[in-house]
Formats: sequence, C-alpha cells, structure tokens
Amino acid sequence: MALWMETGSEPKTETEIADLEAISALKESTALELKEKGNELVKKVKKHYPEAIHCYSRAIDQKALNDHDTSVLFSNRAHVNLLLGNYRRALSDSQDAIKLFPANVKAYYRAAKACLSLNLLAEAKSYCESGVGKDPSNEELKKLAKQIDLKKLEQEQREAQVSKALVEAKDLVSAIEDRRLKLGNAMYRELTGLRKPVLDKNGILHWPVLLLYAEFMSSDFIEDFCETDMFSAHLDIMFSESCPPLPWDKENHYSRDAIELYYEAGSGICLSKSKILRYLLEGTAAANVESIGEEEKDAADGSPYDSSAGSYKWVKVNEKRTLHDVLNEPNFIIPMIPVFYVVSKRSGFYKDFITGKWRPPA
Amino acid sequence: MATELEELIGFLSAPSPPVKKAAVDIVRDLTGSEDGLHSLSNYANTVLPSFSRLLSDDKEVSEPAAEALVNLSQNAGLAAKMVEMGLIKIAMDMLYKPGSSITRLLVMLLVNLTQLDDGISSLLQIGDDKMQGLYVMKLVRSFCRSSETSDDPFDHVGSILVNISKKEEGRKMLLDPKRGLLKQIIRQFDSSSLLRKKGVSGTIRNCCFEAENQLQNLLLISEFLWPALLLPVAGNKIYGEQDTSKMPLELGSALSIDREPVKDPEIRVQALEAIYLIALQEAGRRALWSVNGPRILQVGYEDEEDPKVMEAYKQIGSLLVHGSETEEPSTTTSK
Repeated sequence: MALWMETGSEPKTETEIADLEAISALKESTALELKEKGNELVKKVKKHYPEAIHCYSRAIDQKALNDHDTSVLFSNRAHVNLLLGNYRRALSDSQDAIKLFPANVKAYYRAAKACLSLNLLAEAKSYCESGVGKDPSNEELKKLAKQIDLKKLEQEQREAQVSKALVEAKDLVSAIEDRRLKLGNAMYRELTGLRKPVLDKNGILHWPVLLLYAEFMSSDFIEDFCETDMFSAHLDIMFSESCPPLPWDKENHYSRDAIELYYEAGSGICLSKSKILRYLLEGTAAANVESIGEEEKDAADGSPYDSSAGSYKWVKVNEKRTLHDVLNEPNFIIPMIPVFYVVSKRSGFYKDFITGKWRPPA
Repeated sequence: MATELEELIGFLSAPSPPVKKAAVDIVRDLTGSEDGLHSLSNYANTVLPSFSRLLSDDKEVSEPAAEALVNLSQNAGLAAKMVEMGLIKIAMDMLYKPGSSITRLLVMLLVNLTQLDDGISSLLQIGDDKMQGLYVMKLVRSFCRSSETSDDPFDHVGSILVNISKKEEGRKMLLDPKRGLLKQIIRQFDSSSLLRKKGVSGTIRNCCFEAENQLQNLLLISEFLWPALLLPVAGNKIYGEQDTSKMPLELGSALSIDREPVKDPEIRVQALEAIYLIALQEAGRRALWSVNGPRILQVGYEDEEDPKVMEAYKQIGSLLVHGSETEEPSTTTSK
C-alpha cells in the first residue's frame, strides 16, 4: 500500500501519526462548535447574520466534516444569505449543498427560493420539483411551487400584453404606410395627450382630430373621425341648430354656414417608421420595449418647410371630401394627430388668417 | 402513310411562304367548325407549336395563325395544352412588340386562356418573385390608354381582368394599394364601350369578394368606387339639393344632371352585388351611409323594372335595415 508523501518527507513515526489524528479531531470539534455558534446567531436579530455567515464559512474551511454535515453547513449558510437578500450566494451555497448530499431537501427549497427572487422561474420550478421528488409530503415545497407558478403566469400575461401592444402598433404603422401618409412630429401634445389613431376590425383607420379655433386659441376634439367619413357630416353634428353656440363666440360668427377648415401645408420633416412606432407605443404596455424591429434613419422630406420666413401656407379643406382623401394630400404632413384650424368667414379675424398674418404661437 | 390533315399540318412549317400561307388559311378555316376543331385536337402537339411559331411571322401569316389559336382556345383541353406550352408568355411578348398587328387577337386569346386556373396563374406570374404582376400591370396600362385610340385594340382586356379576379391571387394583386391597379381600372367605367363597362363592372364585383379581409383597399378608393357602383343604380331622376348635399362632390354633381341610363341589366346587378358585399362589413355600411348611398338605392329602385335587378336591390335593402348600430358618424367632442 503506497502513501502519497510530500517530497522530502519521511515516513511517519508513531508520534507523528498520533499528532495528525489529534489535529484532525480538533478540527472536527471546532467545525461543530462553529456550526452551533452560527445556528445560535441566526436566531438573533439581523445584525448578527453576517457573523453567522462567517461562522459557517470558517466551519466549512476546517474541511473536517463528512459530506452530509458539510452539506448542512452550506445549506445553513444559504439560509442566512437568503435572509440577507444575497440571492446569488444563496443559490451557489444551495448548489454546493446539493452536490455534497443530494438528499438535502432544505437545500432544494433554498435554491428554489433564491431562483424565484432572481426571477429565474424555470430553474426555481426545477429545484422545487427535485425537492418534492426527494420528499413528496413536504408542504413548504408545494407552497413554493404554487408561488412560482403564479409568478410565471403573471410574467406570461405581461409578455402577452406587451406583445399585443407591439403588434397593434405595428399594424397601425403598416396601415399608415399602405396609405402613403406622411407623419411628422406631434404638435400640441398638451392638448392631444396620448391620443392615437385606431384600426378597426375592417382595417379602417379612425383618427382623433384636433380642431383649433385660431381666433380664440381654443380647441375641440373629434374623438373618432373615421377616415371614410366626410368632414361635412361631422361639422353638421358639431354645429347643428340644436347645439349651443361656443361660449367665447359672443357675436355668433361661428355658425355652420360660416365656418371653414384649414390645414397647414408641408411643415416639418416626415418621420421614419420606427419613430412613428415609438410614438404609437407611448403609454402602452410595450412602451419600454428596447428593440422594435428594423431601425431606419429618418427620411427627410426634402428640405423642411421653413415656417419662420414669410407668411403661413394654409390650405382650405373641402367639406365634401373624406378625411382619408384630405390626409393623403401631398403637402399635408400630419403631426401625428391631424390638426385643423377653424375660422369664420364672418369674423374680422378671417382676413388676418387668410393672408397669413396670423400664425400659431410657438 | 400521312393523312391529308397530317400533310397539311406539316405544311405549316414549310419553307415556301405561299405554301405556308395557304396551309395556315386552310387550317384556320378548319378551326371555325366543330368537326374541324375535333380533328385538329388530335394533332394538338404539332399544330399548337407550329401556330405559336407563326405568330412572329408577317401579318398575312400571323393573323390567320392568331385567329386559329383563338378558335382552338375555346376548347378547354386545347387551352390547357396552350397554357402548358407557355403560350401566355409568348402572347405577352408578341403583344408588346412594336408594329404588332395582331393585338386584338392576342388579347382575345388571353381572355380564353384565363378561363383556366392555370392560365390565370400563368398570367399573374405567380411564383416568379421579381416579375410577378408585370403582365397584369402592362395590360391594365394598355387597357386604360387604348380607349383614346380609334380602334381600341385592348378593349377585351376588361374580360381578362374579370377572369383573373375570379381567383384570390388575382383579386389581391388588383387590390394592392401599392400597385394602384383597381383605381386605374375603375376610371374606365365612364367609357361608352359596353365591353369596357362590363369588364370594369365584373372586375369590381369580383374584387368585392375580398371585402371581408381587404375592405380598406376598396374604401380608400371610394372617391372613384362609389360613383362607379352607385351611378348605374341611381335611377333616371335628377336628384334634389337635399339629397345631393349629403353626397361627396363628384357623386352629387353627377346626380344633379340628366344622365344616360345604364341599359345592360347585368351591369346593374353586378354593381348591386358589389355594394352588397361591401355592406356586409360594418365599416362598409358606414361608408355607404356617409355618401347617402341608401337614399340613392331607394330612388334607383323606384325606377327599376327588371326582376333580377329588383331582387338585388331588395337584398341590400334588408341588409341595411337589419345591419346593426348607428348609421350616423359618431362624434364626441371634448374641450
């Protein structure tokens, strides 16, 4: 029988063997003492936990205990790490415990708990199941399994919501692209808020439309303007006989027959698909998704219309046209939500507006 | 021992032009009769390739050759063989060769060949990623331009479009907003040629079968679509201000004046069927209401006498009555 011996070492004498055995026994009892001390410390308040960990670590370092007992040490240290919120270390300790003694049920429990806190749901489930395999009647493990399932379900539901929001927004971008509409930066966000166009089940777009009464800097919304509707239909309803006159319209200039609608011609640059997608995702479940598909550079619409030089370019809307036809005009760059300016033929303000002397406040 | 017919068919490839010409004329005459067609179909494998080669010959040979092919293509089996042989590509290539004198005949040939599914697929160029739709685009463009010429050689293209729109891939291609084909085709509805009108009407009606899935591609050309669909079924009266004020400009002004009634009942039925298909969809009903469509149908029905057309009016009528919710555009306002 050959013994590994360090080079240069002599075969041991009887005294040396006795000494080695004594040291080994000492280490063993030290380890056990440290373990007891650790256990005691854990029962106290939180501030003692780090010291408990230290005890367990020193006990482990003695390397004096058998696999079963060392496994318990790791698993105890895992427990304290869990209490301290050191989930990664708790997981690593539990794994070491399991390696040394695969029947250590507590280790599985603690591993599962650590994984749950780290949001590693699949691994958590796996440890739970292994643990239940070793101890089928363990209630705590079963409870933990239910917790994990619940969290998984919540995660899946969230992902489904994000996915749905993303798909809806992409369909919208597609619909806008098919119609060759030009979209620019949103204007009047303080008024439009998070309003967005909507695609109905027939693939028809419905737009929220902002109406601005230039003369009084007052605003109104048509919340659901279907693209196949004519302007006249909506105006008929808004300015019908039975509707009260607008509060600031003291001289009743803004009657059905006197109002005219205008949009601003070609101001700003056209946004790229990805920019439009980002806008449409705002306020939805998918607002924070990092990658949304192909990123393209902004397509510049020739040179952006310089709105500071010279007079404003207003284009009159023919009431008997559909929203779609007007939005499709080549010089209309829709500021995300279509904006139309309402003026009255009968008001003194009309001349200033038409001749381009008035412009919207910056 | 070759039969007379076999000899004759052999002469189609004769090097001597007068011999060839005589053979072509005789065989062309044969194709004009049932018996002749029957006999020739036994030799399809030699006759068809010969004729298709002759299409590129001089006018005096290519014309009768084309006529013969048109006659032969009325037989489904022969038509199938022609499609298999790639005759659609040959015809399209010949059609756009400058100086071609057999344009109308080639178009008629394509009409017959697209009666078959395979013919349609071949014309749509399905499976050829790069070229898909090129033939159709060319034909539509020719269809639209040739109405301005005196002889209008492409007037049968309307019938080709009716055929291809029987297949879903054909409808999809015509409705594709990026190609803008349907928009071009609808404009031809104003033509005085009945053949063109029928072609356009039938094509629109077929395309409306896609209303369930592609309603937006129909409604977004509503500026042109509604006049084409509603004017034929608007009756003969001149509409008053109260009615036309609720319509878009083109429709309203067209109905405020005297107009030629559409005499062909089939076109009126097709228009009503197309409207019905659109009205089956909620957004379609809404769009119809927004142009005062139901009022037009009501007035048109009063003047109608053809029983089949009256049936079609009634079908839409009951759909509109039972078709769910609000017809007014919904407008909620907030400050």
